Amino acid sequence: MRALVIDDSRAMRRIVSSTLENLGFEVNQAGHGGEGLDVLAGGWVPDLVTVDWNMPVMDGLQFVSAVRANPAWRAMTIMMVTSESEHTQIVRALAAGAHEYVIKPFTADALRDKLALLGLLPQEVAL
Amino acid sequence: MTLTATSFDWVRNLVHKESAIVLQPGKEYLVEARLLPIARQLGIPDVSEFVESVRSRPSPDSTRRIVEALTTNETSWFRDGDPFTAFTSTVLPALLAARGPNERLQIWSAACSSGQEPYTIAMLLEDALPNAASRVSITATDLSREMVERTKAGRFSQLEVNRGLPAPMLVRHFTRAGTEWEVAPNLRRMVTVSECNLAAPLPRMGPFDVVYLRNVLIYFDLPTKRSILSRVRSLMRPDGWLFLGAAETTLGVDDSWERVVIGRSSAYRPLKGA
Amino acid sequence: MSTIDTGQRRRSGDSRPVIPELIDEATIRSIAEDAWIALVGEEEILLPIPGELPDDVLSSWVDVVGPWTGTVVLTTGRQTAAELTRALLGDSAPEPLEPEDVTDAFGEIANVVGGNVKAALPGPSALSLPEVGSAPAVRNPADVCRVDVLWRGEPLTISVQGALPPLPVPHPHENGESL
Repeated sequence: MRALVIDDSRAMRRIVSSTLENLGFEVNQAGHGGEGLDVLAGGWVPDLVTVDWNMPVMDGLQFVSAVRANPAWRAMTIMMVTSESEHTQIVRALAAGAHEYVIKPFTADALRDKLALLGLLPQEVAL
Repeated sequence: MTLTATSFDWVRNLVHKESAIVLQPGKEYLVEARLLPIARQLGIPDVSEFVESVRSRPSPDSTRRIVEALTTNETSWFRDGDPFTAFTSTVLPALLAARGPNERLQIWSAACSSGQEPYTIAMLLEDALPNAASRVSITATDLSREMVERTKAGRFSQLEVNRGLPAPMLVRHFTRAGTEWEVAPNLRRMVTVSECNLAAPLPRMGPFDVVYLRNVLIYFDLPTKRSILSRVRSLMRPDGWLFLGAAETTLGVDDSWERVVIGRSSAYRPLKGA
Repeated sequence: MSTIDTGQRRRSGDSRPVIPELIDEATIRSIAEDAWIALVGEEEILLPIPGELPDDVLSSWVDVVGPWTGTVVLTTGRQTAAELTRALLGDSAPEPLEPEDVTDAFGEIANVVGGNVKAALPGPSALSLPEVGSAPAVRNPADVCRVDVLWRGEPLTISVQGALPPLPVPHPHENGESL
């Protein structure tokens, strides 16, 4: 399975990517929503996108709306991974079309649990 | 205030035996950091002294607390979701069909820890049944007073709600309370919480239609396992359902149960006439 | 919709809360502890003991703009910020670390701590992107809540400090576009 990791922090991209790679994902990265859309438009369509909220150029919420506006990308699962953790923010992200929401800080276990909920664990992982 | 080698070894062996997790030498500081809060709660200032007191008089409660302190950071809500899937797919419809419209279903979360399990059940019921609060009551018990208080409070940290709780359920059933998240009042009203020692005679409760008794039996020896299962059975309806932890079974312990496979999970039902 | 904030409207007859009325040190410490456990490592403990910061310090911060407006600032020795970066990056830490690596990782920690501080305050509020450098000055000593901790024996402070006079306000619209 493929995952696109969008975050303006390289450190955070590495943390999320290495967790996903350990779970068997093939991972691509982007530094903001616009770069993420470029990756998708280039034909690299993942099963999962993890996307931060606050980023320069194009934020995560705008990215989610843009992806949801394109029927060709309907099958993609989108998970917000962000330090935005107000109740209203989570509601907004879900309403815009995100499937799941992980609040920073998170552990690798938390990410794995969410993927299990989404049916997106690529392989049986020993606990 | 340093952990002695003997104490560390004893904890190491205990954790390995109960959880198969290996604490490498050099993790003494981790053992100290995790056990110090428990020791202090018991009024013991020193971790070694605490460990020695448990070692000289082991009890399932204190050994369980040591193992949990060292092996789990947070309990996941739905990571082991199969017993809940089985509940909504099979158990709940069967019970609703078998009971009259005015009969209240009774569910027991018998080792509720910090409350994830009873509130998970409450959320599933709330989403599945109109007027869930008037049709179902959930009894949540734990041996530890601290866990009983935590469950009553119904508050969870950010890290706890991050663990396997679907975001739509989080926003539907919780509100922010400072840095924590608080379970909605209608779910809290469904859940009654009290202290209960499974290894001693049980208070009058039930009769229960469903019992969740997960990851408890592993801490007890065979005769105690057997007597716990028998006491639990005496509080269940004859057509009730028991869920154990994924690594637990009644097989070879108590043959008065029938194992029923539901999807990827198993439930146990009292054998008729047993 | 006019959203130019001259500060006039707020000053007229409003009594804006100061941060000690909204959050306490224990809350800030627990937010930081959770961030360290999750991001830096499961066994990374922040001891609630004050220490003296070295001369050469580095700060990272995010602005919170809402019913309470101010800044969440992390400050530690430059060496400690680098060590924190290495801990955060683990096996993928480049050798040697570039200043951008520290800016990125230390800034992300401010983002995580700041986002959770924001969620504990009355909302809705907007969160800025993180910045790294010399800490913004304290504007009102009564509008500060500060926590001192030791991480791996090195001092680190987390200061939640009000912005008076107000910082320039970004106005996030419902559709998320920024000005």
